[in-house]
Amino acid sequence: MILALIASAAVLYAAFFGAGPLPALGPAFNPVTGAWTMAADAKVGSATLRLAGLDQAVNVTLEADGTTHIVAQTDHDLFLATGYVHARFRLFQMDLLRRQGEGRLSEVVGKAALDSDRFELQLGLLRTAQAEWSAASSRSRLAGIAYAQGVNDRISEAEINHQLPAMFTLLGYQPKPWTPVDSLIVKGDMTQTLNFTDTPLVMALLQKSLGSDLTSQWFTTLPPNPQSPYDPGPYPPGASPAPIAAFSQVSDSETVAAADAYQRLAALPAGLVATGGDSNNWAVAGSRSTSGGSLMAGDPHLHLTLPAIWYQLTLDSPSYHVSGVSIPGTPVVLIGHNQHISWSLTDAQDQQTFFYLEREDAAHPGQYFWKNAWQSYKTVSYDIPVLGGATDHLTVKLSVHGPVITERGQTTSVWWAGNIPSQDLDVLLGVDQASNYQQFRDALRGWYAPTHNFVYADDQGNIGLISAGYYPQFAAGQPWLPMPGTGEYDVTGTIPYDFIPQKYNPPDGIIWSANQRQVTPDYPYYIGTASNFFDPGYRANEIHRVLSQGGKLSATDMMALQTDTRDYLASEIVPILLQAVPASAEKDLLSNWDYRMEVNSPAATIWWTFWQSYLTATFDSYWHSRDVQVARSDVNDALGQDLEAWTLGDQNNAAFKYGGSSNTALDVMRLAFTSTVSTLSKQLGADPSTWTWGRVHQRVIENLAHVKGLDYGPRPDRGDANTPLAAPDFPSSHGPSWRMVVDWGKGTFQAIYPGGQSENPASAWYDDRVNTWFDGKYAAMLTASEAAKAGGALTWSLQP
Amino acid sequence: MEPAAVKVIATVILALIVSVAGVLAGAWWAPFVAGIVIGAVQPRARFAVPAGAVVGLLGWALPLGAIQVQYGAGPAASSLAAIMGFGHQGAIPIALTLMVGLLLGATGAWLGSAARTLAYPAISR
Repeated sequence: MILALIASAAVLYAAFFGAGPLPALGPAFNPVTGAWTMAADAKVGSATLRLAGLDQAVNVTLEADGTTHIVAQTDHDLFLATGYVHARFRLFQMDLLRRQGEGRLSEVVGKAALDSDRFELQLGLLRTAQAEWSAASSRSRLAGIAYAQGVNDRISEAEINHQLPAMFTLLGYQPKPWTPVDSLIVKGDMTQTLNFTDTPLVMALLQKSLGSDLTSQWFTTLPPNPQSPYDPGPYPPGASPAPIAAFSQVSDSETVAAADAYQRLAALPAGLVATGGDSNNWAVAGSRSTSGGSLMAGDPHLHLTLPAIWYQLTLDSPSYHVSGVSIPGTPVVLIGHNQHISWSLTDAQDQQTFFYLEREDAAHPGQYFWKNAWQSYKTVSYDIPVLGGATDHLTVKLSVHGPVITERGQTTSVWWAGNIPSQDLDVLLGVDQASNYQQFRDALRGWYAPTHNFVYADDQGNIGLISAGYYPQFAAGQPWLPMPGTGEYDVTGTIPYDFIPQKYNPPDGIIWSANQRQVTPDYPYYIGTASNFFDPGYRANEIHRVLSQGGKLSATDMMALQTDTRDYLASEIVPILLQAVPASAEKDLLSNWDYRMEVNSPAATIWWTFWQSYLTATFDSYWHSRDVQVARSDVNDALGQDLEAWTLGDQNNAAFKYGGSSNTALDVMRLAFTSTVSTLSKQLGADPSTWTWGRVHQRVIENLAHVKGLDYGPRPDRGDANTPLAAPDFPSSHGPSWRMVVDWGKGTFQAIYPGGQSENPASAWYDDRVNTWFDGKYAAMLTASEAAKAGGALTWSLQP
Repeated sequence: MEPAAVKVIATVILALIVSVAGVLAGAWWAPFVAGIVIGAVQPRARFAVPAGAVVGLLGWALPLGAIQVQYGAGPAASSLAAIMGFGHQGAIPIALTLMVGLLLGATGAWLGSAARTLAYPAISR
């Protein structure tokens, strides 16, 4: 009896609670209600479904690849059905996204996520989303409430039918009801990913360790290298440029604070702090296109995941006729087209994060000095449930600038544009409804963060680009460093909307953005420094080079440019390198190279390895001798711009003469080239013709839940960090998350994203678009009626 | 056939129905209960435990088989294996699933027979 009891108890324990890494075996593997339900979920068919809250019937058409077309009789029903469809295919992803922003990941994955949760609650996405919802417009409220109803309809249906996504079962929890605030949280996640930066902390540490002399020379306000701003002016008269003072000294206590905050942010999971941008968009006026209509191309570059951040759909109702991609969890099309206009976006990269050193005094505990008076910090307390552990208690201190992020050294708070309650959801609804540039531009007036370069093209042949968002301005101070929080250096407002970077119907008929600085040095407002955190500009230069070559352009040309692997930096530097180095097989390979980072190119490997060696040979001695507290690789973009500029026009720069040597750029290039050949010989063998780029450079599309077995790849892939087809890092997990090409002359809309519509790994729609994307091909963006006639289409009739 | 044997066979069939119906209704632990019933009716562990194991195994295997027939279980098995860290060895989650059903039925029957033996020692063995 005792043995039977022990055996039964052991089996029941494992079944109810799991064992070791295994989940609770009973509910998890129950063939009817457990993870096996992913098999049924993967099989999607035509159906008639009843949805609570619908006013009238809604028709949903699913193309053979899952692209979804929703046709509703009312706007309310459109958003409700959108919520239902999103949740039907992406509920776990949506739950992860809201949990991340709300600081509730630990509740389901344990203490491994506690640092992330604490940081998010400190930063305040939840507080901001709640404030935004309380002030939401009637249009946003209609969309948000209806969308949440649709999500909750699906949650209820899934619970009743035992169809919750398998990850819920395996992790042993059920999703809570969706709320409109959750949708705003998801938007907040994206804002944080794209524009919450640590660069002032980096600059403070560089200032302290590298020294004010080199920091001010190497990390300049304006880019040292040649770039291609899309808005060359003229700029508004009368405004005076922001004062760019010399770097101030950073005190020891400020350094301690900066180091603590920097290390804390560096330890967070990837993606919570923005580190750079990699997106492209451009437009060509009808006068420059073969079709006679305007052309538009957009490919936002993001972390590539399965499921993807995007869900492709079209929305049709009395007020909306829009097609493109949405972020699951939000009720709008973020990038796409309607009947008259198309748009896409890249990150504008202006500085939207600032750190303030709060002045405190032992005689005024719990207070800080601001505008000549002692102010009390506000506090907010949170309980963070932790799976398998005790609930964590967190108290967040808030100064007038924002949340306190560290109290080591000197108490430091962070001002972040993403924390300004804004009406970005309403803005996007307005963009979805706009039918001309005036309406498009007016809609974007309320956009705050992240600042985006919104490219525009319409059915009348017009094109435009506007970098909409909040551009913090200051009466004084050095915003690229942490600033005193005593009031004199506070944000005073933003650049007037009419004066932000923008261009409409430029005379040469082309317009482009690729995260580069949008304006020339004459622009009279502060928008950030070269290292904080604009792109070095190589993609923008290459795009501009191709578009400005003359002749008419077609949609096919747009596609070719989206998959262009020509490294603009290489095209500038390699000719100089060839002058510097003696004859060799490696030099021969470079001599015959077209600067394209193709998988089968050995020259691409030599170039990339050389450039890294060149950076190392130029800067690492300074880094080691001065014990710089910032990883050199963290600031490679800024240093690379310097190195490019010096190599092109200042080969005797003092930076090459470390330790009193008489080296020039050419001497250092020779050293770096020798090191390159040595490194590659050891790594890839003696024959340089076999050093193909694909052997060292691969691409992986990572599973969102970090399940390695559900990744796509890694597989050899073309491109690098500088090419329009962006593929930074090794392996690269970042790049074009959506490619769209519009030809208004022919009325064609084509697009692709690397993923699939379903988050279910057992579904054919999990990663069915990835190979097409790898091949540089596109799929037609159909209308709902075209989709209904297409082969393999399924239909859902949603009934009230 | 002996009435006792009929009783045992009937019990096993009834237990199998309960097991499958329970699992289909979402009660994944039904094979354990079915096993207890078998054990209570047939206190000889050497008969009850194998019978319980078969009932438990079928209790989970039949619904899994239905999934295979209706939707194809292969992609789901492969995905589950990946999630569990077993690459794409889909046989592992299938085996694990069947093992859970088998163990639930077997231990239930063992517990049932042991309890019956404890309550009525005279008719045990």
